[in-house]
Amino acid sequence: MSTGGIIALAAAIYVIVGSGAAIGISIATGKAAEATGRQPEAADKIRSVTLLGCALAEATAIYGFVIALILLLIYKA
Amino acid sequence: MNNLDLREKLIEELYAKELFKINLFGWEIPVTDTVVVMWIVMAFLILFAFFLTRNLKPVPKGKQNLAEVIVGFFNSFSREVIGHHWRPFAPYIGTVALFLAFANTISLFNFLPGGEFLYRLTGLDFLRHLPENLLKPPTRDINVPVSLAVLSMVVCIMGGLGIKKPGPWLRSFFEPSIMLFPFKVLDYLIRPTSLSLRLFGNVLGAFIVMELLYLTIPAFLPAPLSIYFDIFDGLLQAYIFVFLSLFYMAEAVE
Repeated sequence: MSTGGIIALAAAIYVIVGSGAAIGISIATGKAAEATGRQPEAADKIRSVTLLGCALAEATAIYGFVIALILLLIYKA
Repeated sequence: MNNLDLREKLIEELYAKELFKINLFGWEIPVTDTVVVMWIVMAFLILFAFFLTRNLKPVPKGKQNLAEVIVGFFNSFSREVIGHHWRPFAPYIGTVALFLAFANTISLFNFLPGGEFLYRLTGLDFLRHLPENLLKPPTRDINVPVSLAVLSMVVCIMGGLGIKKPGPWLRSFFEPSIMLFPFKVLDYLIRPTSLSLRLFGNVLGAFIVMELLYLTIPAFLPAPLSIYFDIFDGLLQAYIFVFLSLFYMAEAVE
């Protein structure tokens, strides 16, 4: 396998990191929907807490994406 | 169009291009297109604020209502998160939020004519340097999110020093236990990293998806997807950036 192929493979593996963030965000959103259903009057607070949690969970996916991009753009085969 | 062609075109769109140089006391300062776009956003926001705040009256009327809604929104937003000491942080938060909201969604305004047209219209020579499709989000250049995130952390530290006073602020690094000191110091390095990378990665990801679409399927499909990637994602990231900055400031002054 050429160097370019290995770099492309490494970038692809890094993008898989995003699946963890997807699971985390979906669990958080599901719980938020549940909480809103149980206590509709607290919807505003739940929304801001969910957004905060999603933003923090999403960071891991973004790290994977950024590293994949660095691999592809900086290490040109 | 083969693969290599696509890759080359995409990479050319990604990097900030150097448009011209400013000569300042013998220093050659390169000016990239992201800086020019930031100047455009700044000029628009300054003119907008100037226009909205002429002739302020005790009883608001017309454009003053809009100004009061915008200012009131950021004031109540920062009061909600920070609490008692919200006052010094609200102007900074409002500025960053408005700047990011316009900077992230600026690619919507690409229908405006390019430099060649403006040159023919006005005869001003420097306008010819502006390329077509100039208005790409400046936050796709890592320098912009990093500087904003560092600025946010500086505001955090200044707020902590100013409101808590230096002694208690330094002591807060050792509370509740001295074991936590390295982690609290690391916080100040990790937080700007994650703040800037989140903004940069999201905007760049959305930008790459839209550019790929424009290069491969230029008809019909980009329009609905642009609503998500340009408008929704850009505004959401601006909101998240200021929300997290406020959250860190609230922690610094509590």
